[in-house]
Amino acid sequence: MTEVKNKYETVLVLSVKLGEEGSAELVEKFKALIAKHGTVESVDDWGKRRLAYPINKETEGYYTLINFESTPDFTAELDRRYKITDGVIRSIIIKKDPRFANAAAKPRKAAEPKPIDVEAVAAEAVDAKEESAAE
Amino acid sequence: MADRPERENRRGGRKSRRKVCSFCVDKAEYIDYKDVAKLRRFISERGKILPRRVTGTCAHHQRGLTVAIKRARHLALLPFTSD
Repeated sequence: MTEVKNKYETVLVLSVKLGEEGSAELVEKFKALIAKHGTVESVDDWGKRRLAYPINKETEGYYTLINFESTPDFTAELDRRYKITDGVIRSIIIKKDPRFANAAAKPRKAAEPKPIDVEAVAAEAVDAKEESAAE
Repeated sequence: MADRPERENRRGGRKSRRKVCSFCVDKAEYIDYKDVAKLRRFISERGKILPRRVTGTCAHHQRGLTVAIKRARHLALLPFTSD
């Protein structure tokens, strides 16, 4: 039972008030914490992004994605840490479905050969929307 | 009847167009909440999730799509509302 390990991904949004260095420091802290209880597989820094809506009167945030592997009980602890840490304005921990392990790893490749079809469908969707609005 | 084939099926005069689920076209199994550009196509200008009858998404993928949009909203990648 103790050897059950799952793959997770977590995105955390940090306040810009921390500054470039402060946020990097915090990410390092969480990386160390995850490394202690599991293994960090990859870290993707999205940098500063505009928030879709203001959070605590802030309009921007630093986004970081961390892929990791750990036992299921660690996620609760990680979430608790996120919540009590100042500067973390949003966070999410998602368990990766093993069925989609391959699909999630290479979505870009699969999507690229047919960009035209997707566009066409989207354009159609917009048309349909206009039509239903005109109704 | 033969003169106006486009009006064959509809009394209202609106052309019926076959909609295809874009996720089925892509053979996508997992809908990524981080792919904002893609998700944006399935929300209205006000930020609402578009219904299946508008986008043509199949039931299976619409379920995954709503979850993905809601996750994206939580992370402020997509708006809950906007005007």
